[in-house]
Amino acid sequence: MTKVLELRQATKAFRGVPAIRNIDFDVEAGEVHALVGENGAGKSTLTKVLAGVYQLTSGEMLLDGAPVVVSSPSEAKRQGIAMVFQETNLVPSMTVAQNIYLGEEKMFNRLRRLYIQAQRFLLSLNFHVDPMALVSSLGAAKKQMVEIARAVHHEARLIIFDEPTATLTPEEKFHFFGLVRRLKARGVSIIFITHALEEVLALSDRITILRDGELVITGKTVDFDRERIVQSMVGRTLSHELYDLGKPRLRRPYGERVLSVQNLSMGSIVRNTSFSLYSGQVTGFFGLVGAGRTETMKIVSGVLKRDYFHGGSIEREGRAVQYETPRSAMMDGIVYITEDRKIEGFFETMSIAENIYMGRLARGFNPLSVISMAQAKGLAEAWTAKLGVRAIDANAKIIELSGGNQQKVVIAKAAVQEPRIIIFDEPTRGVDVGAIAEIHRFINEIADRGIAVVVISSYLPEILALSDRILVARQGRVVEELDASVATEERIMYAAVH
Amino acid sequence: MLSRNVRIAEYMKQANRRIKPTQEGIVFALAVILFVAFAICLHGFMTSGNIVALIRSVSILGMLGLGMGLVVIGRGIDLAMIATMVVAVSWAFSLAQAGMNFGCALLIGAGFVILVGCINGILVAVAEVPAIFTTLAVGLVVYGVGRAYFFKIDVQNVPDNAGAFSDIGVGHLFGVPMPIIAFAVLALIVWLLLRWTRFGRFVYAMGDNLPAARVTGIPVPQLIIAQYIVSGLIAYAAGLVMAASVASMSTRIYNSTMIYDVLLVVVLGGVSLSGGRGHVRSILVGTLLVGVLLDGMTIMNVTYTEQNLVKSIVLLLALVADSLINPRDEQTAQQQQGDI
Repeated sequence: MTKVLELRQATKAFRGVPAIRNIDFDVEAGEVHALVGENGAGKSTLTKVLAGVYQLTSGEMLLDGAPVVVSSPSEAKRQGIAMVFQETNLVPSMTVAQNIYLGEEKMFNRLRRLYIQAQRFLLSLNFHVDPMALVSSLGAAKKQMVEIARAVHHEARLIIFDEPTATLTPEEKFHFFGLVRRLKARGVSIIFITHALEEVLALSDRITILRDGELVITGKTVDFDRERIVQSMVGRTLSHELYDLGKPRLRRPYGERVLSVQNLSMGSIVRNTSFSLYSGQVTGFFGLVGAGRTETMKIVSGVLKRDYFHGGSIEREGRAVQYETPRSAMMDGIVYITEDRKIEGFFETMSIAENIYMGRLARGFNPLSVISMAQAKGLAEAWTAKLGVRAIDANAKIIELSGGNQQKVVIAKAAVQEPRIIIFDEPTRGVDVGAIAEIHRFINEIADRGIAVVVISSYLPEILALSDRILVARQGRVVEELDASVATEERIMYAAVH
Repeated sequence: MLSRNVRIAEYMKQANRRIKPTQEGIVFALAVILFVAFAICLHGFMTSGNIVALIRSVSILGMLGLGMGLVVIGRGIDLAMIATMVVAVSWAFSLAQAGMNFGCALLIGAGFVILVGCINGILVAVAEVPAIFTTLAVGLVVYGVGRAYFFKIDVQNVPDNAGAFSDIGVGHLFGVPMPIIAFAVLALIVWLLLRWTRFGRFVYAMGDNLPAARVTGIPVPQLIIAQYIVSGLIAYAAGLVMAASVASMSTRIYNSTMIYDVLLVVVLGGVSLSGGRGHVRSILVGTLLVGVLLDGMTIMNVTYTEQNLVKSIVLLLALVADSLINPRDEQTAQQQQGDI
């Protein structure tokens, strides 16, 4: 087999932090190559390097044995590399044929000829899509077909799929597999990223497993089974020191049941999920992309809009509740701390003190009550000390702080609302090591004080270090509940993949 | 050692922030320079009569600017202000002329203003129509309804049973004309509201980052409705002062460029259209510059059309300056689609 594409010692760093490190990777002609790893393992970075979205910091890329520099996605397209993203890049208001030939229109287009041409082309690929249909009227699988047809039309020799089956129904998945096999028969190489191990085992010729930005193993699919893949995905050594893993840890007992969720549903993202939360303990919530963890918790805390609520029931200490705004959830003692602090976390024009004080103000009713600067200052001093916010003083603008300190302020803003249930969504994303330790310490402290804490995290060591109880979600549903005493990275990951 | 260096670096950053000229400062400096230049070059500018006339002529604009400023800080815009003002005041006057008690008529006018504010707020907060289109259309509707059903002639005189009403337009207090006093009092009220009440802090928070305000538990829809009611009531107050000082209310004002002048006053002083930034101070400074400019041009006999041209160019410059100083990055754009 000839190698179409090869990476040698490829490293890509963002601001000095490597997302992928010294990777040797190759794709052969006409093979299906699966890329597997946890969230943040470097799969997306790797494929984006291939597709010209990012440039390598060091190392080289070879195309047909000759070194190339792919400087942009359009350059990659010219070289025959196409990437199909999860959300498609089609123009919804145009027909299938127009989308396939987008950018090649002549001054005067005869649509009829375009349609005939498109029909022939689609049939040659054995794709059953009507070229005259509007893209907006197609389902996810057909949209993907159009996207692939466009890639083949541009003479792509290598097509990269990012989570191609995440949004597909079982029937559509079946179509997609057939399609991949047909492309393979035409000599097109395929890289696909997925969390669905069955698909990996059924479809691919070779598997590459990444972990923490490094390549763990590449091998023929016939040499792998589920256990071996899962083991390679999680077997971690470095992180143990930072998170104090391996040391025996006192587990907190179950408190009273403060929240119970039954058969909660929202479209295809949250499917019939059920779980409970208990006071005085940390519940870790793990899942891979598409597990619907954030959405589930956003419904529980009223952050998602009410029209996304598609059924099920939530009980808060025995009362049936349905929060329509975050305010009503907050008043009932549930707060949600976002994973995206810049978009829905802090107020950038305000100081640390004003941000924290805003949390307290939001608990009140009377719009004309006079604010108290002394109270704001007192709150800010107490909470910046408690969380170890590093700044000159509480009047510093939050926008001037580091990510870790901003995160601490956002946490303080929620904590001053005196909640009984706190939901942390990726509490240490984009946060430096020192701040991670302080945030973890704070999470443990509030759980000891009897608050029910939920930590959503994509990072297994974090889940294992913090949780007393672990919920694992897969495809919009909580599928496994593990006690921290029996949980291992392998067991959690095994439940999370499908 | 390291932490000391960090501390010094952060201190420098803060110092820089203090020294960095703000839009407010620049506009204030411009107003002073212009004022001095006019005082030296223009005969008759520096007389006390002219100075009082200057402040008086812009005090209505300033009052409207305070209402608009409040909404803009909350990341909205109220283009229906002039229509609300014109129709509510005219309706109140025509009711009083028809024999109703003047106080009652004024209350009915205020009720109408609150209704319009509610409609604006509900459309923006619940139906999620962008504020600029909502208030533009509501303004048209309000004006149309007023002209069609509430009164027939386009100039309504102050009714005979108004009593001492005209005093708030032409009277003096300690030698200061009443419109100036009204402007000052309103500025004080709005300052207190924005700076020292929970409502004011919520408006800033909502303007800064709407999704974050929502997640924090601020009652965003109620707040949006309230802010349009407040801006409407301020417009109503400005309209009453205006009517009292010229003894009538002309509905033709709706067809003038007044709403753009109000926007000019707001944006010029540094109330950013991206929300959350700006103070009452900014609006006062903006009003001052516009006032000096208009007064100087009038003394120089610049025609009305040319004055409009100058104003529009200044507005354009202020908008460009705003978007340079407060750029919309990708994340601000995402916040923009705040769900309520």
